[in-house]
Amino acid sequence: MTDASALAGLDPDPFEDAPCGLARTSGTGIFLAVNRTWCGWLGYSAHELIGKLRLQDLLTMGGRIFHQTHWAPLLQMQGSVSEVKLELVHRDGAAIPMVLNAKRHTRGSVTIHDIAAFVARDRDAYERELVRSRENLRAAVVESTRLQAEAKAHAQDAELMIGIVSHDLRNPIASITMAATLLERDATAAQLRTLERVKRATDRTSALITDLLDFTQSRLGAGLAITVEPIDLHAAVGAIVDDLMLAYAGRALRHVRKGEGPCQMDKDRLAQLVGNLVSNAMTYGTPDTPVTVTSTIGADSFSVAVHNAGAAIPQEKLADLFEPLSRGHQGNNRSRSVGLGLFIVREIAKAHRGAATVSSSPEAGTTFTVTFPA
Amino acid sequence: MSILKRNNVHVAGAGPATVFFAHGFGCDQNMWRLLEPVYAKRYRTVLFDLVGSGASDVSAYDKNKYATLDGYAADVVELVRELAQGPTFIIGHSVSAMIAMLADLKAPGQIAAHLMIGPSPCYINDGDYVGGFTRRDIDSLLDTLESNYLGWASNMAPAIMGAPDQPQLAGELTNSFCRTDPEIAKQFARATFLADNRADLPRLKTPTLIVQCNDDVIAPVSVGQYMHQKLPQSTLAVIDNVGHCPHLSSPSQCSVAIDSFLEKQGF
Repeated sequence: MTDASALAGLDPDPFEDAPCGLARTSGTGIFLAVNRTWCGWLGYSAHELIGKLRLQDLLTMGGRIFHQTHWAPLLQMQGSVSEVKLELVHRDGAAIPMVLNAKRHTRGSVTIHDIAAFVARDRDAYERELVRSRENLRAAVVESTRLQAEAKAHAQDAELMIGIVSHDLRNPIASITMAATLLERDATAAQLRTLERVKRATDRTSALITDLLDFTQSRLGAGLAITVEPIDLHAAVGAIVDDLMLAYAGRALRHVRKGEGPCQMDKDRLAQLVGNLVSNAMTYGTPDTPVTVTSTIGADSFSVAVHNAGAAIPQEKLADLFEPLSRGHQGNNRSRSVGLGLFIVREIAKAHRGAATVSSSPEAGTTFTVTFPA
Repeated sequence: MSILKRNNVHVAGAGPATVFFAHGFGCDQNMWRLLEPVYAKRYRTVLFDLVGSGASDVSAYDKNKYATLDGYAADVVELVRELAQGPTFIIGHSVSAMIAMLADLKAPGQIAAHLMIGPSPCYINDGDYVGGFTRRDIDSLLDTLESNYLGWASNMAPAIMGAPDQPQLAGELTNSFCRTDPEIAKQFARATFLADNRADLPRLKTPTLIVQCNDDVIAPVSVGQYMHQKLPQSTLAVIDNVGHCPHLSSPSQCSVAIDSFLEKQGF
């Protein structure tokens, strides 16, 4: 149905009422032709624009600068510009965001610009939202970075505090131990038993303080200090186990030796390591079964392993077991440590370039193994 | 980092003097495509992009350094030291005329003549001084820049832009000559349009030509006259041109003015 009657009332020129504003200007921007849509959107008659105003006259001040610094040179350099968004000012003063394309035509010395414009209010509103949310995001990132730095500083302060307090506790503990030793000279049998309990308690306290100091030392960046020297591994572990037997009277503790050969490590750290592992095994192992310490010397490595029978450590806990303040079993009040023992074990292993591992099952029990390169 | 890479330097031509071409705010060294070839026939020519513009090394863009024109001027001093052979002329458009002036004041004696196209020492009106703009106008420009990234977001697809056998396609689809990181564009706009170098003008003793368009919204004739009054060794040449980029729209008027000035100076 495209007979003349169906098109009655429509402009025969398809560009007059096109769904975009169309304009042709001279090279300097003076309007030469405009369609009805252009005029309608901007509130001017064609008569008021053609030969009288320039495209620049319809722009905001920011738009005029942009027109001179971007639009005009682009048109001259590449013959066209596309998707430029500018605000055109309606005759009544309202700014209308528009997206503009322009093309430059040159015939001899004559230059004209053809321009197509689309009102872009929705796009403009949406872009402003995007810009706003980008600014909000930027502010949020700044804030979260600040909070993170603050939290880190607090944590470091706390660790530093632990270090200072632990260090200062050593002197009074040493005084107690010394006083207890002096009292032993004239003590009765009953008093001696009490003094023995005092000394065991101070020994455990000293061990805990040592762990805390090592923890802060390794957390504050220095890493554990070690003094490596040649040792007779089996003899050293044997002596440590003998000492521990006294501390765990009434519990079975065995030492198994495997292989022979030279070993090098820090003797005091070895005692600390075995002490921590045996303490764990005594705490979590079934009381009527023995705890076994095995020292093994191989071709390119040596190791110390501590085994206990009893409930297995849940699989999901194994991965974090060596992290500070983590525990294999929850709610067990018999533990003497605050959860630093295994962390220290791992740090000792690391300081010797070795590694600490654990395996645990209901049938085989739990074995912690620390392996050192020979 | 090499300053040649930093400023995307292109050296051409040969002759008894070196001419530096410093583009203004908005686009890049492509702005000199009609004027530079004229001088490459007689002189050594140096084209470069200000850091943050064109194909300069964006990683060299330091927010603090380029917060004012001083940072750009320091770069120009380095470029002149490295590349000048014989007497040095700087053709600076718009803000780069001021950048070249600051470079000269920083390291006097390196530049034989300034050729300033559409310069302005201060864009903001101030008392009796008419720069042409208010602070609100500059905010309005920042707003316009925010919504015109001119293909910046699509700079991961340079294939079209770099298709030399299809210049038509390239011209249709990109705005690459004026493509800038919107954040950098805004900061450069602030450094440019909020600068006030009026107090520096009397200190510049180097011979200077001011090429002033008779119809330029960015640098009105009154600003050109002010420059001429305050610059001790200046010559004012008003040319018949509408717009702020006569080196693109009236290159021959520019070169005629420049040549006659250089001749009078004995070059």
